[in-house]
Amino acid sequence: MAWGYQRPFFRKIEALLSPILAIPHAAIAIGLLFLLSPSGWLVRIFSPWLTGFDRPPNWITVQDPYGMSLILALVVKEMPYLLFVMLATMKSIKAQESLQVGQALGYSRFTLWRKVLIPQLYPIIRLPIFIVIAFSLTVVDLALVIGPNTPSTLAVTLLRWFNDPDLSMRLMASAGAVTLMLVIVVVLAGWELSHLLFSRLTRAERSNGKRFGLTDSVLRLGVVLGIFALLNAFVALALLPIWSLTRRWRFPGALPSQWTWDNIDRATPLLMELTSNTLTIALVATLMACVISLVMLETKRHSHSADHGKQHVFDWLIYVPILLPQIGFLFGLHVLLIYLNLNGDLCAIIALHLMYVLPYVYLTLKGPYLAYNEEYLWQANRLNNRPWRNYLSVKIAMLKPAIFTAFAIGFSVSIAQYLPTLIAGEGRYSTLTTEAVAQAASGDRKQVGSMAMLQAFFPIMVFWLAQFIPPRWTKWRLALKKVFSRRNTSCSV
Amino acid sequence: MLSVNAFSLSLDGKTFIKDLSFEIANGQVLSIMGPSGIGKSSLLHFLSGSMSPNLTITGEAFLNDHALHTKATQDRKVGLLQQMPLLFPHMSIMENLLFAIPADIKKSARIDMAQHALEKLGIPDKANALPKTLSGGQQARVALLRTLLSKPDYLLLDEPFSKLDPALRRDVRAFVLSEIQKANIPALLVTHDPEDAKAMEGDCLELKKEAI
Repeated sequence: MAWGYQRPFFRKIEALLSPILAIPHAAIAIGLLFLLSPSGWLVRIFSPWLTGFDRPPNWITVQDPYGMSLILALVVKEMPYLLFVMLATMKSIKAQESLQVGQALGYSRFTLWRKVLIPQLYPIIRLPIFIVIAFSLTVVDLALVIGPNTPSTLAVTLLRWFNDPDLSMRLMASAGAVTLMLVIVVVLAGWELSHLLFSRLTRAERSNGKRFGLTDSVLRLGVVLGIFALLNAFVALALLPIWSLTRRWRFPGALPSQWTWDNIDRATPLLMELTSNTLTIALVATLMACVISLVMLETKRHSHSADHGKQHVFDWLIYVPILLPQIGFLFGLHVLLIYLNLNGDLCAIIALHLMYVLPYVYLTLKGPYLAYNEEYLWQANRLNNRPWRNYLSVKIAMLKPAIFTAFAIGFSVSIAQYLPTLIAGEGRYSTLTTEAVAQAASGDRKQVGSMAMLQAFFPIMVFWLAQFIPPRWTKWRLALKKVFSRRNTSCSV
Repeated sequence: MLSVNAFSLSLDGKTFIKDLSFEIANGQVLSIMGPSGIGKSSLLHFLSGSMSPNLTITGEAFLNDHALHTKATQDRKVGLLQQMPLLFPHMSIMENLLFAIPADIKKSARIDMAQHALEKLGIPDKANALPKTLSGGQQARVALLRTLLSKPDYLLLDEPFSKLDPALRRDVRAFVLSEIQKANIPALLVTHDPEDAKAMEGDCLELKKEAI
């Protein structure tokens, strides 16, 4: 980030970030599995000419007991997110101006980042960092696919305990969920404390006037690692379609020796069912989230104009589902669902998805919606007093780009949900995500590849449409209208 | 005829305008001038019915001897033109004009009215173009015609010329005045620019800061 910011090609990376953000983490994990496992692509391209292997080596690369592969997967998945957040905040701290001033004083780029920008950046991105930490500690699907097995992470173990036929294990699981909560609190506190210590220690050093420093090379190393992680993500994604089209792919070959559509063909009935489940849930949940967000924002706008500057209660409440560990929270909800006799219902799945989709949709819509120039709506009501119709045909229509983007983000969040689907659906409804995670270990790479590919395909598609449609909407609408009016006049003549 | 009776404006006990009264005949434009912060905009808000709650406003307004200040905004039939033309960017110019024409008029008549307005502006070929393809002066004129097509009973102008460059300003001013005279409704113009007031050929009221 420090290295690339302001350089021209970085703009292209910016554009590439949003698809990575959109792709469910399970798909990335499966892609990494294909890439890094002992029989994965990384070993294949170096075999047998370099390594001499003609069968997969007996190494443990993924699902290693130290969780290295899990760490790598988390880095690959979360780095784009943090990059994205940082890029968004760069403007508000006037980074460009600071860099120019600093470079004029003779400071090196990296030293400036460390001494000037990062201290300013940190308070703004603290919350996103907390979200990432909480997510990493509690993630289940990523850990299932690529994490260590015996013993697995606490979150995965909790899932196993909760599903244990021996009911007394549930008590242990509940205790475990509380422990996990505590672990999160302790880690977050520790993180904050070490940041405090670190900034105290480096405060004097910041103004010592040195223009270059040892840490420059540390940051440089970070750049290399970052690029490596991004590269990994792309290669991992590229592997998904390759595997789904493979017929024969013996070990040392760098590419499949025979290609076929058969895998997809054979899996079509299953994939169709999974896809329709996935899309139904995602579309319904996201549409509901959009409507609810709009209502929430409209009430917020009203109360905002009444008392200025105060944080609305929504702004805090909305973070709760994101920050709470899914595993403990959801089992509590499951008990409630059973009590209400709603367990295993499609509505229950949609409701749980909604709970996770809503915060993202709300937060995405918030900025543009509150920044909207209300004068347009007032003028519309003065010209033509139909408040409801004007709200839709003027305000909502003008906010189209923001609403489309929020929809795309909500949609991709819903597609990625693993635990909510599993818990509320009780296995009666599977989606692309649950099925792909369940089969990731099965070894049928061709089928898993197709599932993960579809899982990655839909969010990218929706994101692309959300970028593509709004600017052209009006042009198309007017063109259509022209066609119809011409037809009408020719009929009447 | 629009008449305002004993209009007073104060904020936190501080009085800005005291006992202002005036009358505007149909087809006439009254200009109100004064430094910013004196409460010109609040007067417009009072007449259009969108006052902010923390201001204390007293006074009466009548349109042809019917009380105006007791009505809600949507029942007042007020036309307001601001600095920004506020043309809806996602609608074609034709749609922007049609938007304002009352719904109880027959469809073919509505289209004729909009088409007529476009011809008056000299841009009949731009019916299906988007507002952003027009120049600033054209946008201002479209905005005025759009407001007039909604058949308002009176018109409020909130510095509608200040964003235009000086050469254009003269043309747009003349256009606005002639359209108001044709529509034969009272209009109130709020402005900084003495030239605006002169061009409107009507009376001019100057608000001054009261020494308290």
